[in-house]
Amino acid sequence: MAGQLIQVATNTVTSAVASVTLTGIDSDDVYMLSASGIVVPASSDGQLRVTVGGTADTTANYDVAYKGLRADTTFSNISSTNGTSFGQVFQWSTYTTSGITGNGIVYLYNFNNASEYSFITNESSTQWQNGVLGMQGGGVHTVAQACNGIQWFGSGGNITAGTFTLYKVV
Amino acid sequence: MADDLKYGYKGAEPTQSFGNNTGVFDPNDINNLIADNKWTTFGQLELIETQTSTNGTSAFNFLNLGSYNVHFVTFTNCKATSAETNMALRFSNNGGTSWIATGYQFAYWFGRNVNPLEQKSTNSAFLGYAGQITSSTVCGGYFYVYNLLDSSKYSFASYQSEATSNTTQYSFGSGVLPTAETHNALQVTMNTDSLVAGAVVSLYGIRYS
Repeated sequence: MAGQLIQVATNTVTSAVASVTLTGIDSDDVYMLSASGIVVPASSDGQLRVTVGGTADTTANYDVAYKGLRADTTFSNISSTNGTSFGQVFQWSTYTTSGITGNGIVYLYNFNNASEYSFITNESSTQWQNGVLGMQGGGVHTVAQACNGIQWFGSGGNITAGTFTLYKVV
Repeated sequence: MADDLKYGYKGAEPTQSFGNNTGVFDPNDINNLIADNKWTTFGQLELIETQTSTNGTSAFNFLNLGSYNVHFVTFTNCKATSAETNMALRFSNNGGTSWIATGYQFAYWFGRNVNPLEQKSTNSAFLGYAGQITSSTVCGGYFYVYNLLDSSKYSFASYQSEATSNTTQYSFGSGVLPTAETHNALQVTMNTDSLVAGAVVSLYGIRYS
């Protein structure tokens, strides 16, 4: 079984919702979030928060650092401390051209461990006006608590499509 | 099993889902539930195919992609035959009869101890690059590939790699083929040259993704 994924929770969005919450983290294993085919409104970023007891933690304790990869212009370094989410884990196009979606993989570390901070690493791929747009980096929620899941939300409105699946990595 | 005894139940049949399969199942039931992503099996990283290079291999063609939203491609022990080259992807919309050779977009960070740099293109013949190698260096890495089989969505990828050179090199990036169509075959290739024997490339599907 080593080197395998086990599905923990999944949600396929087919009508507008404000957020998607996936829970079921109950061990000290590494977990992985797969997100694909996601459609959000114009000028919206895909962001993440940890959940505690199934409720998103919105306290200002998220630190992040990402590299913004763009095919059409200079890359950017994005970082912040004490935010209220992991920020632009997935950054989306402001363009709603049919076919453009958000897609990415996020690994979750130490979520179940009440004595450790919760860490993530992420990679994503979507499209800006003139080229592919990727975000790769990491973040930490600087609260030592047990987190049982992850919440995905769009900063600028409802999610209208996408598949989100949480796996345990064993 | 007769329809009036679906899953061994008369009348209303139990709702089936991953982690919640109830009843008595015959092989057809199981096959149907697997196809509908409703059958509980642990191990959602599913190997589709592994290929190994011989001397002079210039491409690994994967013509069976299964039915997944997200694919995972690994490549290891890749070493060029003679020239500097880079690992990359191409897609096909005709089952591998031909490979799309224009229109890919990519953006990746090429990390190394001297002159790390951005690399990008809005109209490339390849989606990549990942893992720059020569005849004296070796690389490994992976691609996650999204939406290949969805005719209404562009096909995206994110990737990371590591290579040995005089010092270590790494890359991480994202790419897209911005055409909403079904891409039903995938090629792991390189922008020039070929590989020596022993490179291993595997294609996985991530079920329920």
